[in-house]
Amino acid sequence: MSACGGATIRIYILKRILVLVPLLISVTFVSFCLLKTLPGDPVYSMVGERATPEAIESIRKEIGSDRDFMSQYAGYLGLLAGGNFGRSYYSNRDVLDDIAAKLPNTMKLALAAMAIAIPCGLAAGMIMAYRRGSFIERIAGMFTIGGVSLPVFWVGLMAMLVFSLELRLLPPSGTGGFKFIALPALTLAVPAISTLARVAAASIEESMGLQFIRTARAKGLSPLKIAIFHVTKNALIPVVTIIGLEFGSYLSGAVVTETIFGWDGIGRFAMQGIIMRDYPVIMGCIITCTAVFVVVNMLTDIIYHYIDPRIRIHDGKG
Amino acid sequence: MPRLTFALFRLAGLALLFSITSCSPENRTNDYLYCRLNSNPSTLDPALITDVQASVVAAKLFNGLVGLDAGLNVVPDIAERWEISPDGLTYRFRLKRGFLFANGREVTAHDFKYSFERLLATATKSPNNWIFENVEGARAFREGRADEVGGLKALGPYDFEIRIARPFSPFLKMLTMTPAYVVPREAVIAGGPDFASHPMGTGPYILEEWAPNREVVLKRNERYSNPAAHLKGIVFRILPEDLTAFTEFELGNLDIFQIPASAYSKLRNDLRRKQYIEVLPGLNTYYLGLNTSRPPLDNPALRRAIAFAIDRKKILEKFYEGRGRLADGPVPDALRSWHLDKDRGPVEFNPVLARQIVADNGFSGVRLKLYVAADQEAVDIAEIIQGYLADAGLTITIRQLEWSSYKQAINNGEPDMFWLNWWADYPDAENFLFPLFHSANIGPAGNRTRYANKEVDRLIELGQHATDPALRNRAYCEAEEKIIADVPWVFFWHKTDYVVRQPWVEGLKVYEIYNMDKGLDVSLRRRNY
Repeated sequence: MSACGGATIRIYILKRILVLVPLLISVTFVSFCLLKTLPGDPVYSMVGERATPEAIESIRKEIGSDRDFMSQYAGYLGLLAGGNFGRSYYSNRDVLDDIAAKLPNTMKLALAAMAIAIPCGLAAGMIMAYRRGSFIERIAGMFTIGGVSLPVFWVGLMAMLVFSLELRLLPPSGTGGFKFIALPALTLAVPAISTLARVAAASIEESMGLQFIRTARAKGLSPLKIAIFHVTKNALIPVVTIIGLEFGSYLSGAVVTETIFGWDGIGRFAMQGIIMRDYPVIMGCIITCTAVFVVVNMLTDIIYHYIDPRIRIHDGKG
Repeated sequence: MPRLTFALFRLAGLALLFSITSCSPENRTNDYLYCRLNSNPSTLDPALITDVQASVVAAKLFNGLVGLDAGLNVVPDIAERWEISPDGLTYRFRLKRGFLFANGREVTAHDFKYSFERLLATATKSPNNWIFENVEGARAFREGRADEVGGLKALGPYDFEIRIARPFSPFLKMLTMTPAYVVPREAVIAGGPDFASHPMGTGPYILEEWAPNREVVLKRNERYSNPAAHLKGIVFRILPEDLTAFTEFELGNLDIFQIPASAYSKLRNDLRRKQYIEVLPGLNTYYLGLNTSRPPLDNPALRRAIAFAIDRKKILEKFYEGRGRLADGPVPDALRSWHLDKDRGPVEFNPVLARQIVADNGFSGVRLKLYVAADQEAVDIAEIIQGYLADAGLTITIRQLEWSSYKQAINNGEPDMFWLNWWADYPDAENFLFPLFHSANIGPAGNRTRYANKEVDRLIELGQHATDPALRNRAYCEAEEKIIADVPWVFFWHKTDYVVRQPWVEGLKVYEIYNMDKGLDVSLRRRNY
């Protein structure tokens, strides 16, 4: 990478980070509007089954839900400016602390899922592209259709029944090391493998018809070399896009997978907040997930820059 | 450039490998009991607790003046004895000496005064302050007209007195509730809002770790000897999914498991497990609430027709797999100290009569909205009810809402009908009459059918304030019979729960009220994990 290229990347990153601030403010505004227009009052969940009107009013005052919308929103922005997400209505815990504890778990799960999905997806995609019409291509095709069609909860429960209950190989739930992460990561990886395989297959087939591949064949390069160093590399762009999108969505919380396997991640935390109408938790999760998604997209753009010379990040000077 | 890409991938791979291998696997800890909570406790500050999950945990961390024994009688806890004045207005408690908080400080009467005043203080924003609303001076304190509650007095380090404004028969039983536990002032002040997640009490266990949505770990309080716990600790694993929890139990990773509906048949018919199942006849009532405040259900004839139209017995036996006892009225059988007049008892299934009432009163084709919370079992029951009422000539629209919206809707009286249940907070019939049927409690205080009957109000109040048990029972009996006759609810059943234990769990007792189990009965036979 040239010095000039490094500087361009740095400017690009800086720009994306600067764009992140107004983006996050817009996201907080839209989310705040949506939360306030949804039916369901958190106070009724907080007070339990038997509460006096007096107690309800005092809690409403305490959490500020008796104030008008703009004053509540301004209060929330003030809180964010102070560097925190506030406290949960129910547990009174600092939301930022809880998110900081759960986000690494979600990242770990997302990384593990991608570590399974990328090699398996690419391998399946290559098989489908290079062995078109063969028996193995048909098997891989069936698997990919199944993988994108089956609901995640069903895959998760089946994986649990087989690997935990029947074979007793892996624990059904918990948050921790390899043996705990295997089943949720596998469950998350199944649809990603299928999507990656289908995209990679289509992309490889498209690349195989291009002029430079015919040139490479004419030069007498071995089919393996052509496949790995010319076709696959050229077909990576859409694959990287899919990886970026899948990874971003995993980091935004794989709610169902985390719930089934008792994985202590941000998706489950957000879900609990939504069910309980715990606004500080919901807002904290939305802001974190938005920021994570933007950063992942930025990283994807940077990877494009390196793997395809046709795509260059410009410094805006033309 | 390919070299850089490869290096990035290698780095990511190494990071992943490190993140996986650097986490030690979670293993069982010997002599710790593993149980399930199906949702995260909301808070562990007793003053703020309103959910069962939090109460189950808090019972192990805190104590109150009095507790309950297996027969639901009030027994000493931190108070070794008490006296109630003949006029029923003064409760004087003598505290045990040497009862310690987890920080080693002795509990005194001043701590109870502090804890109860804290519960009442508006700054605490406790939804449970109604427990002490009858205490003398409570209102003046809440309204800021007094610095302290005149009716709460520490007469000495071990003597505590509560004066109430009017005789109130369930008061002593209300003191067994979770919000009436004692808390140490210094820990509350030092913890500030974090006291809710790092609580300190007097109980047989101390909070070791609370990882929200993951687990709550308690360890034995070595200072507790009232009596001391057999276990070294308890791990509550938070597992919302029934199938996940069932799998964990089957693998021996949970020691105790409250059987969910989905696993009931399998476990009840499992010969290996059958002998380890404990039956818990719960203090609860499941009901179909009928909005009595507006047409058409303000007409008692239509309410009776609905009650006649539904075969509760069949639903209980076939759909609910017999997991309960048919309800005669709102009060669970275990709390009813009187006999209901059978002629004025609940209406039996009579579809012909139901159709006739509907037709005679011009209700045919009437449309009614039935609200249910987002819970598959509730939706299934709603559909069964819909079928029965269609046979009677009524058109029912089911509306399913998530819990928070559902609560708001039923508190505001939006639906014509709703499916709900009520569980005892303290073992007194009053807990099933006053909040649910007194007109002062319409809305979020409990009376969601918006039922108002002045005579029932009078009888419930008579029972509450009667010092003579016979008079109290008569008043409650009459109130319950009038409620049954007015049909603000279709009384379905009192649910029975089933708890299965592993063979190595000994001494397990199941209790009717969620905060009765202090984790003192159970022990684990030695086992290699």
